[in-house]
Amino acid sequence: MAPDSLSLDRILNEITTTNNLGALNHTLKNGLPKESRETILSSGLASGQDPLAILDLRQNTLGVLYILSARLNAANTPVDPNLVATFCQTFLPDQARHAPERVTLLARGIVRLATQHNNLSWAVGPLYNLLARYPPDLSYLTTIHPIFLQTCLTAHQPTAALPVLRIPIAHVSTALSDLTYNDNLVYHYLGGVVLALLKKWAEAEEYFEICVTAPGAVPAALQLEALKKLRLIQLISRGEVLSLPKYAHAALSRIFKNSIYTDLINAYPQNTERLHLLLDKEKQTFSTDRNLGLVTQVIDRAPRWTLKKLTATYVTLGLGDIARAVGIQSEEDVRALILSMIETGDISAQISASGTVTFSDPPPQFTRGEVDAVLHGAQAQSEVLEMLEMEMARSKEFIGKAVKNQDSAWAPTTEEDMYGMSGAWGGDESMFG
Amino acid sequence: MDVDIPEDNGQSSTHYIRRPQLVLVDDLHPFDLDGYISNYTGRTAVDRLIHIISTCPALAPEAFQLAVQSIHQSRDPSLYQQVMSAYDQVSGLADPPLPSALDLASLDTRWADETMAKNQAERSKLEVELKTYSNNMIKESIRMGHRDLGDFYRSVGEYPTALKHYTKSREFCTTSQHVLEMCLSVLELLVEQRNYSHLPTYVFKADAALDAASTAAVNAKEGDAAAPTAVPLLTKRKAISEDRERVQSKLDFATALSSLASGNYQKAAYSFLKLGPAKDFGDWMGKLIAPGDIAIYGVLCALATLPRSALKTQILENSTFGVYIEQEPYVRELVEAYLSSNFKTVLELLNRYSTRHALDIYLAHHVVELTNLIRNWAVVLYFQPFASIKLDRMSGAFGWTVEEVEEQVVALIQSGSIHGRVDSQNKILYAKQTDYRAELFARAIKAGRDIQSTNRKVLLRMRLQQAELTIKAPKGYNASIADLLQGD
Repeated sequence: MAPDSLSLDRILNEITTTNNLGALNHTLKNGLPKESRETILSSGLASGQDPLAILDLRQNTLGVLYILSARLNAANTPVDPNLVATFCQTFLPDQARHAPERVTLLARGIVRLATQHNNLSWAVGPLYNLLARYPPDLSYLTTIHPIFLQTCLTAHQPTAALPVLRIPIAHVSTALSDLTYNDNLVYHYLGGVVLALLKKWAEAEEYFEICVTAPGAVPAALQLEALKKLRLIQLISRGEVLSLPKYAHAALSRIFKNSIYTDLINAYPQNTERLHLLLDKEKQTFSTDRNLGLVTQVIDRAPRWTLKKLTATYVTLGLGDIARAVGIQSEEDVRALILSMIETGDISAQISASGTVTFSDPPPQFTRGEVDAVLHGAQAQSEVLEMLEMEMARSKEFIGKAVKNQDSAWAPTTEEDMYGMSGAWGGDESMFG
Repeated sequence: MDVDIPEDNGQSSTHYIRRPQLVLVDDLHPFDLDGYISNYTGRTAVDRLIHIISTCPALAPEAFQLAVQSIHQSRDPSLYQQVMSAYDQVSGLADPPLPSALDLASLDTRWADETMAKNQAERSKLEVELKTYSNNMIKESIRMGHRDLGDFYRSVGEYPTALKHYTKSREFCTTSQHVLEMCLSVLELLVEQRNYSHLPTYVFKADAALDAASTAAVNAKEGDAAAPTAVPLLTKRKAISEDRERVQSKLDFATALSSLASGNYQKAAYSFLKLGPAKDFGDWMGKLIAPGDIAIYGVLCALATLPRSALKTQILENSTFGVYIEQEPYVRELVEAYLSSNFKTVLELLNRYSTRHALDIYLAHHVVELTNLIRNWAVVLYFQPFASIKLDRMSGAFGWTVEEVEEQVVALIQSGSIHGRVDSQNKILYAKQTDYRAELFARAIKAGRDIQSTNRKVLLRMRLQQAELTIKAPKGYNASIADLLQGD
């Protein structure tokens, strides 16, 4: 025990004195014997003092990060939750980025701590702070992302995840965070689940789609689950399914084709009888897939889509005819359905006193602001693309490849140039003439 | 008993998928059996009669007698069994019951025995011959041996064996003329057998052989050209191109039939309409098909799929096809009524001759589909010039009730053929009015948004690939994913 605590004293000394963060990280990471490192870091000082009490949570971020993450993950080392929360609020991101794997450990530790105290909701706050402060901005994917989302979900606080989900992931850097492909899959899958829970269908669709189309040599099981949910959400929000992007793994669609979900899609929305039959028969499967809720919503919305199709065919229709076409027994229910659809803006129609529904379809209106916003968006996008292209043209890989294929590529390029030149000169010929 | 046959077919097709529908023959749906069958000779006559027996109880006894007569002229007594079983089946369904088959006509057993014996003898003879040829390894003789055996088996109705011999003969073909001959025999066999799926393969092979043969012939003549006279060269070349056209017509016919069978009516229409004159078909005419059939197939397929301008140029101004149309005057009426937008007449004619169509062995399966297509086209064409029209006016023009019209129109709107909407209360059909400017805006904005979100997704995907965060070989569910799956 003695040499160990001695080591922590020594380490503490180093933490407080050194200015070279890289070297300190190296010492902390590799300077200690592998098997006892975590024990050492989580132990107390020789004097019986708490090392965390001595260290400044802000200035000594890296050291505190190591000790805290070790403690949180070791058995029988009590940690003060308030201390963790304060650390998450105050730590210096620059220092923490020296040890991404410890940040991951810390995030897991926070969840662990909260589970020990049977108060998972507590973890949401510190995790959010950690997540918001650690990366340069929220568009960088980190290992904390999936952990945070899972915590939000299990703590029944899906709304807490919205500020994070609002910013789509655009940057991936393995230097910033020790990511695996699973982090990306899990984050987007869970993001989809959270958004679906909040009935934000369009966003949920996008998250699931990212999960489904993640690059890979083989499809992951999670992708199939995401695909199932994606299809259900499309049925809820659009009444039909869209085809997957070309770059999605072909095997996924193939596996999906053999599932009961395909039956569901085929019968949707006209064949109400078949839908209910399917639900009764496959309730067990849907419920093991954890999709029963979604499936029920899908089926509940079937009449809306049938009705929407009618609006494209008819100008006027009696309530009774609609009831028959949609498969609802009472006219009153149909009236309620139409009213709710008019309210949500799904259709535009008028119901006359005699029970005749007149459909109209007003041309879509756009305000100047909307159009401007779209144009600005497009401009920004093209700037981004241009920048990316230049970046790529400068990149080592690209130049390496370009040089390799150069032998054949050179000749035509120069020729083109020459033609271009001669064209340019051609215009000037009159000058000489 | 005046039932609209196509409708009837459509409704009950779910119950009887395999069995051909029973059709009526009465004053409204006339059909002249003698006139019809006299166009055909040989095996196809019997095949067609069998089809008539099994689809039309009213004509079954007469057709049965004719079939038995024709069988006596063939070499295949086993056909009698087929005719009998078809007759038995239909007589079970008919009401009132049909006269017993044995009362009508019976097979001359002595003839049957003799034919069997003769067949047996010929077979042994041909097989022995083939064996001798094989032993002597004379290629040409072996080919002819196989060909003769193929012909023989075909005449006694053993199609698979016939096909086997024909295809075997290919190995011994030395010139492309021989290959062509083989392909044509196979095609004839396949058409007779109504086995359409292999037709295109052999048409393709025959085409290649035909090209090779004509080049070879031209080359040969180039060699002859050394001879001083130029006149025979010209005549020869002409003879060859005629030869080519003749074969080409047969090939086109086979293509057309296979397109028809696979439901590709437009392609079938074009193939039928470009067929050469009837004499090109040689013995196929009558043995496989009658000129009237070609007129009917071509016109029905064309009406169902081709635009009006094409109908005019391809049918009315096509003198070769005009000759075929002469065979079936009502077909010309049909086209003319269609072109003058007299759709009521078109539908009436189609209905009137539906029996004729349903009793044709090649057309039977497609009558309903073709009639529907023609009717849909007609409705679409009729509505085209209107911005709005009362449904009862349409019902007058088509000879339907208002409900029928509404049903048709709604189906067409839903399938996207008519851009319009129905006022179901006042029974008016309105053409859809589109505000193109607003639609353009909507579309542009939607496209912009879609592209942005797609870009974002693709870029993320690229970043993931750059960071090498791609999915590797599956390690199965690990614990954390399994937990997460419970999470929703």
